[in-house]
Amino acid sequence: MSKSTAKALFNAAAMTFEELGFMFPISDLDELQLYAQVDAAAKVDFEGPFSGTLLVQICGGILPILTANMLGEGERPSAQLQQDALGEITNIICGNLLPEIAGREHIFQLSSPSRCSSRDSEEMVSAGLPAVEARVGLEQGRADLLLFMNK
Amino acid sequence: MALNVLVVDDSAVMRAIIIKTLRLGGLCLGKIFEASNGQEALDILDENWVDLALVDINMPVMTGEEFIEQVRLQKETADLSILVVSTEGSSKRIEAVRSMGAGFLHKPFTPELLRETVMQITGVENEQIDSESFVQRSGYDF
Repeated sequence: MSKSTAKALFNAAAMTFEELGFMFPISDLDELQLYAQVDAAAKVDFEGPFSGTLLVQICGGILPILTANMLGEGERPSAQLQQDALGEITNIICGNLLPEIAGREHIFQLSSPSRCSSRDSEEMVSAGLPAVEARVGLEQGRADLLLFMNK
Repeated sequence: MALNVLVVDDSAVMRAIIIKTLRLGGLCLGKIFEASNGQEALDILDENWVDLALVDINMPVMTGEEFIEQVRLQKETADLSILVVSTEGSSKRIEAVRSMGAGFLHKPFTPELLRETVMQITGVENEQIDSESFVQRSGYDF
């Protein structure tokens, strides 16, 4: 996978966080963002001309704000809604990324998003390095995007 | 005329976003129903009059495409206005959805585009606010 794929991954994520979550995405992360801990993760599996998984990790305590922005609410959303929001963001990023890298003539089947524990994430990375990675700075935190491809 | 709307998406957050966007859009809305998959949506249609269904494609139990096929097979719902709201990017799949008489709106979407597409599909005029005042009031994308 090339630099253009990494750029497409960043762009799909940036657009989604900006348009859905009203967070301004940056590519040049500061120290606070870089060392932020992972709070939650979600993944979407896909099958088509090629298959794999997109894993999105949210870091730095921004998921409640992100979810509240999406819902247009001032109060802190429930943990369930926060996880749902992360799943939907992962779904939208994946859905926008795949046509960019494969072409719009191909059909992909996307699984429903699912929660990914830190252990699951570590196991995925242990099983094989992601083909493409991208990081998006968001307020005091960041989103890590890891695209795994099946062999 | 108030529109009875059915929102079908396996994400509760996305259903909430769509419903809020519809309400902000100045459309005259009646009852709003929610379903998390195509089968639940069919069950709702069996019991209620719905003017417009907004439907995701990728859902468990029954997909959006399967739902639309079933809706078009039944005399009572064959003419239901349907708008597919999805991340789907394949031109073939989008064309297949359109060939079943459904509109298509890509996620993420702006409130203006959702409103315009709904008005186009249902033929309903906006009776409350005009486009310019809506854009000034909303000023954001979904």
